[in-house]
Amino acid sequence: MLLLAFALAVTILFVVLRVLGNPVFALISVGATDAEIAAAATRLGVDRPIWEQFLSYLGQLLSFDLGQSFTNHLDVGDEIVRRLNVTLPLTLLSFLLSVLIAVPVGFFAAWKSRTWYGTAFSAVSQLGGAIPVFWVGILLVAVLSLGWRMFPAGGFPRTDWEDPGAALYALTLPVITIAIVAGSDLARYVRSATLDILGQQYLRAARATGQSFATALWRHGVRNGVVPLISILAIQLSTTFVGAVIIERVFALPGLGDMLLVGIKEQDFPSVQGVLLFSTALVLLLGFLADVLQRLIDPRLRDSLSGNRRVKAAA
Amino acid sequence: MTSRRLTRLLTASAAASAGLLVLSGCAAGDTSTSGSGAPDPAAEIVIGSQNEPTNLDQIFGGSSGVTEVFTGNVYEGLFRITDDAEVEPLLATETEVSDDGLVYTFTLADAAFHSGDPLTADDVKYSLERFVGEDSIAARKRQLSVIDSVDVVDDNTVAVTLTQPSISFTYNLGYVWIVNDEAGELTTSADGTGPYALADYRKGDSITLEVNEDYWGDAPANGGVVYQYYADPTALNNALLTGAVDLVTSQSNPDSLTEFEAAGFQIIEGTSTTKELLAFNDRIEPFSNVNVRKAVYSAIDREKLLDAIWDGRGELIGSMVPPSEPWYLDLADNNPYDPELSAQLLADAGYADGFAFTIDTPDSGVHSTVAEFLKSELAKVGITVDINIITDDEWYQKVYNDKNFEATLQGHVNDRDINFYGNPDFYWGYDNADVQTWLAASEAASSVEEQTELIAQANQQISDDAASIWLYLNPQLRIAAEGVTGVPQNGLNSLFYVYDITKA
Repeated sequence: MLLLAFALAVTILFVVLRVLGNPVFALISVGATDAEIAAAATRLGVDRPIWEQFLSYLGQLLSFDLGQSFTNHLDVGDEIVRRLNVTLPLTLLSFLLSVLIAVPVGFFAAWKSRTWYGTAFSAVSQLGGAIPVFWVGILLVAVLSLGWRMFPAGGFPRTDWEDPGAALYALTLPVITIAIVAGSDLARYVRSATLDILGQQYLRAARATGQSFATALWRHGVRNGVVPLISILAIQLSTTFVGAVIIERVFALPGLGDMLLVGIKEQDFPSVQGVLLFSTALVLLLGFLADVLQRLIDPRLRDSLSGNRRVKAAA
Repeated sequence: MTSRRLTRLLTASAAASAGLLVLSGCAAGDTSTSGSGAPDPAAEIVIGSQNEPTNLDQIFGGSSGVTEVFTGNVYEGLFRITDDAEVEPLLATETEVSDDGLVYTFTLADAAFHSGDPLTADDVKYSLERFVGEDSIAARKRQLSVIDSVDVVDDNTVAVTLTQPSISFTYNLGYVWIVNDEAGELTTSADGTGPYALADYRKGDSITLEVNEDYWGDAPANGGVVYQYYADPTALNNALLTGAVDLVTSQSNPDSLTEFEAAGFQIIEGTSTTKELLAFNDRIEPFSNVNVRKAVYSAIDREKLLDAIWDGRGELIGSMVPPSEPWYLDLADNNPYDPELSAQLLADAGYADGFAFTIDTPDSGVHSTVAEFLKSELAKVGITVDINIITDDEWYQKVYNDKNFEATLQGHVNDRDINFYGNPDFYWGYDNADVQTWLAASEAASSVEEQTELIAQANQQISDDAASIWLYLNPQLRIAAEGVTGVPQNGLNSLFYVYDITKA
């Protein structure tokens, strides 16, 4: 399944890009003659029949080569690795922070769901999840960078992670931005998962045996609640990655998002294909890992699988 | 979501954002500025720009961004074009021209590339041939196509033979980089003779230039330069406001100028060579009719447009030649704003009830705002405009390549763009035999006076014919922090020499 989905993505991407545009026009300037335009197309190899281009592209992929950028001739694979220096820490830190926000907030909102502040907590998380991530970014820049000068308004050290302090400082505001939105989203899931557990028979049964609320929750609730949460977390991690890609533009961070957007603008097929294939593989892989992890934790899922019933992993 | 819930949500988010903005407003007063004092010769200048080069080579899709960074800074030509559009010798210390104007013999400066390789006649031969070669899609290739052959006389001397005299030859050479013939792939690396060497290239982020300690000329006034690129104009402005960059090469949004002025920044205004054009497809009806073109021209209040777009900065022009050029004519009133005249011209052309046409409008820059303005102006004389927004790539495909359009908006950036009117196959299809003859003859003229005379004639004619509508000339706006000096003012064709820039 995983490979099939990937192969499908590769093919669709390849065809769509070529239908939508001609990379030569991103390179020429006003004044170029037909002969020059044709020569540039030959140089890029886009004048060949599309099936021929596709075959050589597949050949490349099989040898784990993502090709060279049409516009700047940098190796796309190397470039993706370089950009991950920004995007990966940004995604992971944002995800971590969003979990740190979401778990207590969601749990508290569920636990105190009958009180006014419990309702207020869930209302705030509703609101947080509804705001576009770039808008949060713009507001935070207005206040914390332009206003209070606490953080830079954007950019990333040219020395990358040579000075980890400076790199982390540059990422602070983007991380907070993504975590506010992603954390609010996640808090709602945590809240409903917790509510679900709190109403379960087994919890009452456990308390009836004399366990305290906390022990009962820890022994039975967490283990039961964490299984559906894993697939939510996997999806959330993918969403955080996409959020990172968007927020890179607001904060002028040279990550994968920037590579993708500039690639689209310059019709740089190899770069666009490279970034999107990488993201596709990442999302598919996360889903797969979540599946495996769930089965490790909950034996019932393994049984249901052997009984040939599909588990709805990405609910 | 019910509409009541939606309303509540929107009210809440509006209140939240208003609160945050008030907070930021309160705190915005304490702008810290760099202390003024003596310029620091070791200071690294950080330049913010939106014009990131697609790659580092001028002959392969080298956009104007590549000129901004490299020409004159990392690479040098045989000649230098000054900020006032004068030609000065650079790597060609001496020039001899044969009596028939066909053979140019250049004596080369005693310079060396950053790699240490000395500059020789072979490098010049290689560079010129590369520039006009088959693979080259350099923007100025055509102007250099008069080169017939390049011959190495000795290590220090090179002779260039032309197919016909070209009075702008040395000027055009000012844009051609002399590269090392052993440099290899120049799309990702560089080896020039300039005052700076390429230190670091981070695509999507920055280009760092370090001072070339062995430079053959005068040492730069600063300790190196970083070009920091921003895809988003707001991000660029924020970087300037927070001191992350020292200056921006071009400000495309005049709305923010008052904010910068109030915060103590310098606004540097020079003349540009970028003309905003409403170009017709002169091949097709009704634009094949000169009266229709003139009618459209006279229906547009360009002064109001310039005010709206550039807050009164910039200039009105009436033809393709900007005032910074020697053969400029003041033609701003040649096709005056006069709705009555416009209606009369339309009636004469047989379109008393007006007509409808589509403007293909690139989605970049100010074009879509300009298109809206034109639409409302032309509606007043009964002409209906449809606006069709397209991407820059679509523009090249549909308008430039296929010539499948009625009218389009475009900013033409270069100085001597008037030559496009001498080519009937150009996208706008203006075809006037006299203009073609004059422009061709102007290039082969034996003196600058003769050249000026011929171009002026062509200039007057295309304006009389309203070949296109020259809406206005963009201002060249740069913004620099306090204490920054030596910023080039005009920046002809994106030239941007950084060696005189200092900061305290």
